[in-house]
Amino acid sequence: MHSLWAIARNTLSQAIRMKAAVVVVVLLVVLLPLMSVTMEGDGTLLGKLQTFVSYGLGLVSLLLCVLTIAISTFTLSNDLKRKHLYLVVTKPVRRHQIVAGKLLGILLLNIALLSVFGAIIYGLTLTMPGMIDADPAQRERAQAEFFTARSGLKVTYDEAELIKRAEQRFTDLRAADQLPRDMEQAQVLRELLAQERMVVKSCPSGRTKRWDFDGVRFKNPDDPDATIFVRYKLETAGVQPNDQVYGVWKIGDLRQLDAGVGQVKTPIYDALQDATVRTFHEFSVPADAVAEDGFLGVAFFNNPSLNNTTVILDDVEVLFHSGTFSTNYLRALVMIYIRLTFLAALGVSLTTWLSFPVAILVCLVAFFAGTASGFIAESIDGLGTTIGLVYHLTLRPLLWMIPQFDGDHNPTTYIINGRLIEWPFLSLAILVTIFVKAAVVLLLGMWIFRRREIAKAVV
Amino acid sequence: MSAENAYAIETVALTKVFPDWWGRAKVVAVDGLDLQIGYNEIYGFLGPNGSGKTTTIKMILNLLRPTKGHAFVLGGMCDDPDISSRVGYLPEESYLYRYLTARETLDFYGRIFGLPREVRKERIETLLEMVGLTGMGNRPVGTFSKGMARRIGLAQALINDPDLLILDEPTAGMDPMGTRQMKDLFVELARRGKTILLCSHLLADVEDICDRIGILYGGTMQVEGAVRELLQHQDQTEIRTGRLSAAALAKIHAIAKEEGYNCDVHKPVDKLESYFINIVNQALEQKQVTSGAGAGTGITGFLAARPIVRTESLLDQLVTARVDATASKAETATKTEHVVPTPSPQTDKTLLDKLATARPAAEPKTEKIQPHQQEAPKPVETVKKDILEGLMERKNKADGRTEATQSDNDNEGRHA
Repeated sequence: MHSLWAIARNTLSQAIRMKAAVVVVVLLVVLLPLMSVTMEGDGTLLGKLQTFVSYGLGLVSLLLCVLTIAISTFTLSNDLKRKHLYLVVTKPVRRHQIVAGKLLGILLLNIALLSVFGAIIYGLTLTMPGMIDADPAQRERAQAEFFTARSGLKVTYDEAELIKRAEQRFTDLRAADQLPRDMEQAQVLRELLAQERMVVKSCPSGRTKRWDFDGVRFKNPDDPDATIFVRYKLETAGVQPNDQVYGVWKIGDLRQLDAGVGQVKTPIYDALQDATVRTFHEFSVPADAVAEDGFLGVAFFNNPSLNNTTVILDDVEVLFHSGTFSTNYLRALVMIYIRLTFLAALGVSLTTWLSFPVAILVCLVAFFAGTASGFIAESIDGLGTTIGLVYHLTLRPLLWMIPQFDGDHNPTTYIINGRLIEWPFLSLAILVTIFVKAAVVLLLGMWIFRRREIAKAVV
Repeated sequence: MSAENAYAIETVALTKVFPDWWGRAKVVAVDGLDLQIGYNEIYGFLGPNGSGKTTTIKMILNLLRPTKGHAFVLGGMCDDPDISSRVGYLPEESYLYRYLTARETLDFYGRIFGLPREVRKERIETLLEMVGLTGMGNRPVGTFSKGMARRIGLAQALINDPDLLILDEPTAGMDPMGTRQMKDLFVELARRGKTILLCSHLLADVEDICDRIGILYGGTMQVEGAVRELLQHQDQTEIRTGRLSAAALAKIHAIAKEEGYNCDVHKPVDKLESYFINIVNQALEQKQVTSGAGAGTGITGFLAARPIVRTESLLDQLVTARVDATASKAETATKTEHVVPTPSPQTDKTLLDKLATARPAAEPKTEKIQPHQQEAPKPVETVKKDILEGLMERKNKADGRTEATQSDNDNEGRHA
């Protein structure tokens, strides 16, 4: 254990003396306060906060990732190249302890750097509302949508049911001999499924569409100021003037309406909204709309006097407070730390058998692949169906090893939208990325390092 | 003691073949080497460049894997932490972290050995003092000259108080004073029961301090044996006296002729090493400032004397002889004649002397050298002309060995 610590300490002091580390630190120390002043966003307080945190956290994450890659690929390869390890491996230390010690040193450095810069961004974010001149409405909005952590419940559709319906229609069409002759059967089926998906989301003019949400649980159920948010995006089948859709929303325990108009226990709120198509919109109602058992109904009435086209409602979501900004911010930092840990493990592991330039290149490729993992997985998966078995045995496991840094795994989207990073999600990310992926990479590196010769053949 | 434990280092048919890219044998660096180095021995490992010395050492230390055969160290393998914690290694270059200061460097290796803080602190200070880098403890190793880096390298090899020291070119790049100090240090370490494998191109160094040597060529051992046995000319006699008159020389020629031999007479020359050390010592006495390494003290206390008893060995005689002889001043040399009649059955003492140094002893007759050596070890309190030796006082007092300045004074007294 003592040798592990000795190597970790030495790695730390090696890293601190690297010019790259100094550049990153200076850059962040200068840029972050500057960004907090210059970032404007859409001019509102919320926009300013969102822009600053988005760019600030993004920059810290990017620079620390690059720094981690540089240090982790440098430290062991440099020790090998300059033969410092001749002296280390001949001491009472196991080979795997050297690899682990190197990693530990980088992880400690990352904790220190991430804490410092995370704290700087946090401090600047908290002071920002006091620094600028914003009206109370803006402040309230920032408080409700940014300095919070909300959970969301999304509408889900039964995909199996949709497929069944599409197949039924396909069978009907074939029976009636109405299948299009210029299309293949699979193509027709796909087209029908897309139509079904559209139908289930659509609300024709003059009709009402209703969604039921269960399990709306607040952080503070007794808070009288608590609000719930409805977030949605819509499209129109036909053309609407100015691309505007006028809708009437009803939010509350809509089960009370099913039984006919009687005694209403919880209030049902109406909201009139005009929304531009293809952009996200959000409105809020008091939280007492939620029934005691956590049920909430949301209904949309497509007002025929204002809209004369079918409206397709996408991504309808109910948001409610379920955590605080601070804890959520901390979780965002943990998500960044997960990346750094994986990259550090990868870098150290690669240099047990690759030279510095090759290892850093591989690491950077892995990093950018992780940042665009959704895109890569999609495009290669599309390719995969044609090359079959070979793909499943070779490329797929390799792709699986690339961690995800984008989409759900991008912490900044959670923070700027005031979304709670759910603990089960976070623990799963830690488990998969650190305890499975990084561990596999590291163990592989240790195994190689244990077997390799430290000295070069010199005759 | 088990069979495999009988040697501090033992290799069995140790072979290293470096293959080419296709895996075909390209170079046989070490070829079936059977090396046996006993405990408490200074073994000189010699050979031209590329003869396989360093490769052998690297295999012993598990830096390279043998293609065939085995290398045992202290009765085990070097990748076992229990074994490697008893080994000190100085590679052919120091390979230290350039950004660490001398003190941090030693601290780092001390930590790897798991030495407690107080022990580390104490050892670091005494080792820095010992290798003559006391004032430079806070300077990054990257700013050190090669010789100074060697000193720190040696200090790190000693931080765990090892039982076995493997030294690859330990004095390379070191100034003559440093070299001399190191040699004295190695001898002292061996006295304390440590085993030393010394790999060097500086044959004079090896000759001075090693018990046994092995000469490697092409990866195989060409010759191996005790230094004295290998170097001694059994068929020659060397006599050293004071300056002789022409008449006396003529007599000696005549005597040699009677025995049927020619006699080669010349004046012995001082060793440059001794001459250099004298000059530097004079500068030291005048307290001239240097940014380089200083004179080290003999040996630090923590390097424990192990209760491995050395039989009265050739080394002990060698060491005693060397210290006496090398201590002679240059001026005494000018007064002596060097007479080498060839050959004669009468030998040993002079040859021993010759082995240790090229310089002559001050005594007029061969027979008198031995008594002088024996009376030398008494500790003395005389004023030190020679600060280097003064710094080594502790060591000399500790083991009761000859104090060099004393023999100088003796010599001067006799010949003045």
